Amino acid sequence: MRELVKRYRFFLFAVILLLMSVVLYSYNLRQKSTTTFFERAVLTFASPFQNGLDHLVDSIGGGWANYLWLVDARQRSIALERENRELKSQLRQINEISLQNDRLRKLLAFVDDLDKPALPAQVIGEDASNWSRTVIINKGSRAGLMAGFPVVAADGVVGRIIKTSPRSSRVLLITDASSAVATLVQRTRTRGVARGRGGDLSLEFALRDSDIQVGDLLVTSGMGGVFPKGLPLGLVTNVEKDPFSLFQRVRSETAADFSHLEEVLVIVGEDH
Amino acid sequence: MRKFLFYFILGVLFIFLQSSFFPLFLPPDLRPNLMLLLVLFAGLREDTLGAIITALLLGAIQDSFSGHSLGLYVTVYLAIVLSTRFLSDQLNAESPPLLLLMVMVGTLIQNLLVGLLLSIFADTQTVLHILLPAIPAQVIANLFFSILLVILFLKVQRLFGYRRGLSDLIAQGKHYGA
Repeated sequence: MRELVKRYRFFLFAVILLLMSVVLYSYNLRQKSTTTFFERAVLTFASPFQNGLDHLVDSIGGGWANYLWLVDARQRSIALERENRELKSQLRQINEISLQNDRLRKLLAFVDDLDKPALPAQVIGEDASNWSRTVIINKGSRAGLMAGFPVVAADGVVGRIIKTSPRSSRVLLITDASSAVATLVQRTRTRGVARGRGGDLSLEFALRDSDIQVGDLLVTSGMGGVFPKGLPLGLVTNVEKDPFSLFQRVRSETAADFSHLEEVLVIVGEDH
Repeated sequence: MRKFLFYFILGVLFIFLQSSFFPLFLPPDLRPNLMLLLVLFAGLREDTLGAIITALLLGAIQDSFSGHSLGLYVTVYLAIVLSTRFLSDQLNAESPPLLLLMVMVGTLIQNLLVGLLLSIFADTQTVLHILLPAIPAQVIANLFFSILLVILFLKVQRLFGYRRGLSDLIAQGKHYGA
């Protein structure tokens, strides 16, 4: 027996170590909402460096773009693009509010107020792995942020905070594979769950007979208690109906542009 | 202790590049995993215990800079470094083409293990839709940056007048046959 152990000690050692690390991972998965001391320390340590690096790259990029490359035209274009995004966002919100008002008038019920206090934050880093979709923002627990707070941009929903340190927080984007958001198709009020697919979204659990068309706007349903109701998630790009399946396959592009995510808003409403 | 400090500093530098610099220029699929290259380097260069400690350290750093629970990359890098240690005793790890092959296999193993662990423990099977199509681009990016790093190490270490680490392996590979 001792001889056997001696001969295979490397493999035994390797298996024990791997099992221990898997147990650690499994334990941490259960404690998902809490930020460990190690993670908090690393985030706190990294935050000023990431801020500095972000400012440095911004300054160099800004200098190059603004002073050496068409000073006025570029700035005007940026301003117009921003204005265009804001107007589109306002139009979508007006559509949603209008539909909501129609329903609520009929029901003589409450007015759901989306105007909640929000804290602006800047994206200072992205995920270190290529498959996971998270970003780091420059506001943390000192600014009153906590895990679970929803994060939005001018175009639509960005994600929710999953970890906080005193000066920075990690945001799980809606495009991450582990993200699932309770969703409504704005036009038909069909329910579903928008799950991340890296670059886009898939609407799951939408019944085959439900009326969903390309171009339909997906909005948050408010179920689950994380995101307020009526925030734009994305536009339907593809609908497939399998005659033998209970649900239809719906793909959607995100409303927010994640390739140019710089400033975001964290909703810090009183219900959080 | 000095070597762990070296790996720690290099790991932190690499993770800053991965999380704050590369995203400005490269799409997610084409961002190299420099930490994996460092883990493979440690697996080839250090003794078993040193390599394991380095893998645990680098895995914990990468977990902290990624949006998932602490332990995922610890497990993945531990498995990779143990395999590398096992293979380095069986094969001629000093051959440069073999080093590149190890980077390729290491990238594949890393993606498969991440997919497996997330599917089993975190119930996020959709991650496979992200991971699997990205593997070819990931392999190319890691190979390209591993070659760049080898060239950079060779240049830097020649400045200091001695050879250690990966450049040492490459030099030996040239002399004793690749």
